[in-house]
Amino acid sequence: MNPKKLTIEKIQEALRGQRYICDRSLATVVYLSIAMGKPVLLEGEAGVGKTEIAKVLAEVMETKLIRLQCYEGLDANTALYEWNYPKQMLRIKLEELRRGDRDVVETEIFSEEYLVKRPLLEAIQSDGPKPPVLLIDEIDRADMEFEAFLLEVLSDFQITIPEIGTIRAKLRPYVFLTSNRTREIHDALKRRCLYHWIDYPTFEKEYEIVMTKFPEVRDHLAKQICSFMQRVRQMNFYKRPGVAETLDWAAALIALNRQEVDEKTLAETMGCIFKYKEDLHHLKEELTGKRLALDQMLKDLPELSA
Amino acid sequence: MQISDEAILKAVDRFAAIRGEGTLANLLAFGRVLKETGVKVSLSQVIDASRSLELVDIARRDDFRAVLRSNLVSDKEEMPLFDRVFDRFWQEHGFEEPPMESVEMPPSSAEQKGGDSADAGGSLEEIVAQAASQEAKLSEEAERFPVPTYSPHEALHKKDFSEMGIEESRAISRAILLIATKIATQVSRRKKRAAKGEEIDPRWTMRKNIKYGGEIIQLFSRKRRIKKTRVVLLCDVSGSMDCYSRFLIQFMYGLQNELWGVETFVFSTSLSRITHLIRTKDIGSALERISHSILGWSGGTNIGRSLCTFNRDFAPSLVTHRTVVVIISDGWDRGDVGLLEREMRSLKRRCHKIIWLNPLLASENYEPLCKGMQAALPYLDLFLSVHNLNSLIALGRTLQKMVA
Repeated sequence: MNPKKLTIEKIQEALRGQRYICDRSLATVVYLSIAMGKPVLLEGEAGVGKTEIAKVLAEVMETKLIRLQCYEGLDANTALYEWNYPKQMLRIKLEELRRGDRDVVETEIFSEEYLVKRPLLEAIQSDGPKPPVLLIDEIDRADMEFEAFLLEVLSDFQITIPEIGTIRAKLRPYVFLTSNRTREIHDALKRRCLYHWIDYPTFEKEYEIVMTKFPEVRDHLAKQICSFMQRVRQMNFYKRPGVAETLDWAAALIALNRQEVDEKTLAETMGCIFKYKEDLHHLKEELTGKRLALDQMLKDLPELSA
Repeated sequence: MQISDEAILKAVDRFAAIRGEGTLANLLAFGRVLKETGVKVSLSQVIDASRSLELVDIARRDDFRAVLRSNLVSDKEEMPLFDRVFDRFWQEHGFEEPPMESVEMPPSSAEQKGGDSADAGGSLEEIVAQAASQEAKLSEEAERFPVPTYSPHEALHKKDFSEMGIEESRAISRAILLIATKIATQVSRRKKRAAKGEEIDPRWTMRKNIKYGGEIIQLFSRKRRIKKTRVVLLCDVSGSMDCYSRFLIQFMYGLQNELWGVETFVFSTSLSRITHLIRTKDIGSALERISHSILGWSGGTNIGRSLCTFNRDFAPSLVTHRTVVVIISDGWDRGDVGLLEREMRSLKRRCHKIIWLNPLLASENYEPLCKGMQAALPYLDLFLSVHNLNSLIALGRTLQKMVA
């Protein structure tokens, strides 16, 4: 896709072509981000497709995806670059045998050949033909020090390596940051980004997602799945299931060749929806206690029947 | 708990003076209104928003909204407020009439109109400079007429925990989570280089040995940074604390599950360790288990005896000079005050800090007069109130400073 000829509609269409259903507002944000060269900060509950959009966009733009998974303790060495010390060592040993020129060796072992590129450097150095998509996943897991460092990189899109010099991005990568909000992101970083909150999908949207991902699924089953998920999200579970869980569950039901959801099927497959023992237990209790009527849960939501 | 519609309208009116004269001026006014109502907006965000508007068809109201929202809002909690201000601001303006067009300026800003109305196509720099001066002027104005600031949870922040319903407890959970993670990030997973560490740091060793021509002469090692804190939580669950029990449980539960190294105890006439009971993801069943296994919930209070048990049975293994002991109680003690004082003294010697959180401290006519509280006061490093969300947030900050 040519970034110069993009429109909001085209993005939405193209994402749908890759089986990613998104609201117009999200498509607008993606469009702006590409047009303005501004990073996007995506927040939302787990499993609503924050990471997925970056992956799908890379497909759509026919460019590569560079991913940086954040974790506590992530530092510049792992995110940016590192010297390949073993390789440098070997070179030095070889030169010793050959009695090479010391100065030459010194400059050579600090050249690009001995540089281990980590995601951020890779994204900045990428020379195309198209700008890469840089996904900085779960930024809230990294610590404040890393955030400050990231702020620097994202504002100038350049990196200085003392031994080599400054490397400036030829093509500004499309940057996506995701956060699960386990802690607040610093204002300065937020201000540099376009912000979008991805909510749990509505029934209609979720139904569309299921139908797009699994065209073979029976209409009745898809509706049952989505109604159930919509209602489960209203209830009090430790970890509310996202779209990812919906899709897992749908895939499981299809693989088991079930035409509809009943109590037995649910009992067999509820591991797809809930990932905590307590939640599984809670659901089981509700079902056996008849406090929660399964057929009520599976009934179409009013919006759809209307 | 929300800012009133009148307040929004008032803000819209206040900044009507700098509207008109092109998109940017209109946006700046919009930014000011947002700021006034409590959404943090910076000038650079407004400028970016106006750049963005050139890229989309602003006749589509939903796109127009999406563009402004993604640029100006950076927190989910601010979105409903943004939408309300957006509706007031751009509707009153008449959206059919594109915001690009100039609008009649009120006479009050006549002196600005004089020079600037002509340059509708003026350069961006000029507009920004003009906007900045307007900003400065407005902030002067704002200083002269102080407007109450708004925070999204304002009412909630001030509401007593004892009056709260279930919906509001979500906001509390979030505050607790933030407190917990603030403390938790003090405990670093990073490794640091150390002369004598648990393992060799190959990267650093090679780097340092290059100067010997690649011969490994010196070894460098690394070790985990020391975990900085441990928190022991002692919660009063006697009858007088009943109205705070939901909050207490949430607090204990939240802290326990988000932090490494938290031990939780409850006491009334005797002390019980409940760390293992609340180490679960399901708060509902945790509640059930606690109430099953604890005697004297909602009964009388004997703080001295409970502390004595703690000091004798648990403190030797749990409390070190790095431990922060948090006691949540109203201080109404029916036991021996002399015993309470002795036990406080011995606890104080053993631990790093003692924080006493008292939900009653906030009520206007409360003074720590009850004997128990008075006996304990000299040994406290911190005596704070926890009765609403604000106090909880303050606690978070204090804790962070203490363990840093």
